[in-house]
Amino acid sequence: MISRFQIAYKNLLRKKARTLLTLIGIMLSSWVLVSLLGFNRGYEHALNRDIDNMGYQLMVMAKGCPYEAATMMLQGGTGLRYIEQSMVDEIVKKPEVDKVTPILMQAFFDPDKGDGGGIAGYFGVEAATFPGMKPFFRFRQGGWFKDENAAEAVMGFEAAELEQREVGDMILVPEKNVKLKVVGILERTGTQDDGTIFVPLKRLQMISATDKITTIGIKVKKGADSTKLETALYLLPDVQVVSFTQVKQTIMKLIATARVMVLSIAIIALLIAMVGVINTILMSVLERLQEIGILKTMGAMPGDIFMLVWTETLILCSSGGIAGIALAFVFARLSDLLVRRVLPYAPGGELVAIDMKLALLTLAVIVAVGLLSGIYPAWKAGRVRPLESIRSE
Amino acid sequence: MKGMSCYRIVLATLLVFFVMAIPALAAVGCDLNDPDRDVARFFPDSSGYKTSYVSIDKRGGDTMLKRVEKRLGDRFHGIYETIDVPYTIYEIRKGTQKIGYIHGVNQKGAYGGIQVFVALDTTGRIRSFYIQKMTSQWAKKLRDPKFGRQFVGLTLTDFDSYDPASGKASGKLTEIRNPASEAEQDFRASLRALKKNLILMDEFVYSPEKGRP
Amino acid sequence: MNNDNGMSLEARDLSRSYRRGSEQINALDQVSLTIRRGEFVSFMGPSGSGKTTLINLLGCLDNPSSGELRLTGKNIFGGGKKLDEKALTRIRREVFGYIFQSFYLIPTLTVRENVALPLAFYRKPGSEGEVDRLLKMLGMDHRMNHLPGQISGGEMQRVAIARALVNRPEILLADEPTGNLDTKRSGEIGEILQDLNKNVGLTIVMVTHNPGLARLGGRLVEMRDGQAYES
Repeated sequence: MISRFQIAYKNLLRKKARTLLTLIGIMLSSWVLVSLLGFNRGYEHALNRDIDNMGYQLMVMAKGCPYEAATMMLQGGTGLRYIEQSMVDEIVKKPEVDKVTPILMQAFFDPDKGDGGGIAGYFGVEAATFPGMKPFFRFRQGGWFKDENAAEAVMGFEAAELEQREVGDMILVPEKNVKLKVVGILERTGTQDDGTIFVPLKRLQMISATDKITTIGIKVKKGADSTKLETALYLLPDVQVVSFTQVKQTIMKLIATARVMVLSIAIIALLIAMVGVINTILMSVLERLQEIGILKTMGAMPGDIFMLVWTETLILCSSGGIAGIALAFVFARLSDLLVRRVLPYAPGGELVAIDMKLALLTLAVIVAVGLLSGIYPAWKAGRVRPLESIRSE
Repeated sequence: MKGMSCYRIVLATLLVFFVMAIPALAAVGCDLNDPDRDVARFFPDSSGYKTSYVSIDKRGGDTMLKRVEKRLGDRFHGIYETIDVPYTIYEIRKGTQKIGYIHGVNQKGAYGGIQVFVALDTTGRIRSFYIQKMTSQWAKKLRDPKFGRQFVGLTLTDFDSYDPASGKASGKLTEIRNPASEAEQDFRASLRALKKNLILMDEFVYSPEKGRP
Repeated sequence: MNNDNGMSLEARDLSRSYRRGSEQINALDQVSLTIRRGEFVSFMGPSGSGKTTLINLLGCLDNPSSGELRLTGKNIFGGGKKLDEKALTRIRREVFGYIFQSFYLIPTLTVRENVALPLAFYRKPGSEGEVDRLLKMLGMDHRMNHLPGQISGGEMQRVAIARALVNRPEILLADEPTGNLDTKRSGEIGEILQDLNKNVGLTIVMVTHNPGLARLGGRLVEMRDGQAYES
């Protein structure tokens, strides 16, 4: 016997080129749609993950610091702004604060790093408090320094790779010619920490001949009012407060317009593909009027013909949709790379996050829109009168 | 608090610049920091260059690695000197004619990585020796052009007798002077790097050109 | 509608007219006749004589402008009653099978699938085994996996006949069944129809231009200017 599904499927095979082109149209628009929906989700997740990986949600820095911090990091300039370490004691008393960690960011100029020289960045951190802020850190070799005064260093993955360092090797702080022993090398984190050298705070302060710090990292208690804490921190003298929620919001705002635009394009692509579907199915119906008439003489009701033609639409849209989604899965990495090229700020991790749930949702949208498009041709087919169609030779 | 939002945006932008992810890098290779400048410096009569990337694992696998180690007289050490390290070869051209190569290798030094580059002619003879990076109090002496000039005209054959493990040499290499006696470890590391550099160039370029496996 | 012994199709003063532009065409003018179970009725006549219009009305493919049509005493058309497409379809699938000049096989379905096609929409009880039986009876079982494009015109019409009979209709309506066939194939189709009528007892109503074919049936009706004349 033959089922209605088989009849519909075989009808589509009549004009293979036309069916294939329509399928390709649906496939491409599905690919774009699911990739973009995946990006919408992936970017936000990746950003959240990166911010979580910071360990602390707020940073207190000296006013004017970011500009100089930029200079310091990029060109090895001087004039760094500091804050008093005693500010740590003030901040830790605040009820919303879970943990704090003082950090000293220092840079030293290395004249033998390339022809024009380069800067080497060091983070002075407390052995007692900093590791607790970064529970996600994993060590490739060794571990954290225990002594707050030790002449030791923990190196980020890429910093160690550049210097060809392993645990037990020595490094040299340029300008000061101070030797430190490498006690730990971190696994890759996908953040700037990979290029950082961590030194006990007191040791770095000694090397830099200062007792001050540049940054205080603050971890907020779960459920605490972060905004209230921020406001209170602003009252501290000569400091700037940076919240990573703000960072995230700023970035999300920056890309929001792009996201909306690109999503609109994806929807337009989908609608164009559906117009292709209507055209294909309608042309197919008009070419088969006599045949439809004959089906009616065989006992097919108007509803049967409607469902037959609608099934053809369903086959087209679901096949094209599945193919497009499969392409999106296969090329997710490529899409990820393309997006990274285009965007100014790209967090680590998967930017285009497509999972089964998203895939099924997208497929449902494509099929629903497709079935909607298929209503008119199917209705037209159902209304065919056998006599008129058979006679129309 | 006036002007705060503008400040925050700047701050956020800068923090993003610092704090957000850099693209994950593969196993570290050794590239020229400014190839346009450096190619012109080592080959003033060049008109351009072509960059290619090779690695021992892709070109010859374990067989090649064993051969290189034997020729070097030393095993590959540690977690960075591995079979999959990418090597960048700059093929220097004058018009359509190949006139030489530039190639660099990473080498573990006393206090940091040493990046040793060599500019070679088409027969494998050294035209220039260049340490792009070195972390040492005495780096200035070893990076002085006077030191590098000692190697001009040498070939891989001259390094056959050099033993990186003991630092013993014979022939022309005995004439090479260490300008920084305080940095004996880095001096020997530079020589090891240079020998390794020449061996790899022979394995990747010169032997295949001559039809040898 | 199924009446084993007394099935009859009775037309009373059937008329059909339609407009073509500003012109009123009377395609059929008060035609009355009765077709009984087991009869083989052939309609002949020149183009425009109304024979096709009559067979369309008898086969419930169209509504008459006036007149009555009864099937075994039950009124199908009459008293100004017009049936919608759904109602017509219900009657058609119970009672009639159709074959046409142009065969109308689905080109992407095999011979077997074409014959089984009506069963996808409606299956009369007991029709399940009919596909293979009919293919064998009509000599098409060895071609059952071929496509219509791979068989001859005569074979295509046999397939069309099998398809028309798969739901065990009471009446087979054949509109110019040999119109697209050569003499030899026409003869073969004629023999098949004769065989179905004589040995199986199938009631056949046929429109044809072919006098030889028309004589195969027991009854000949000539159509002229929308009226029927029985010889």
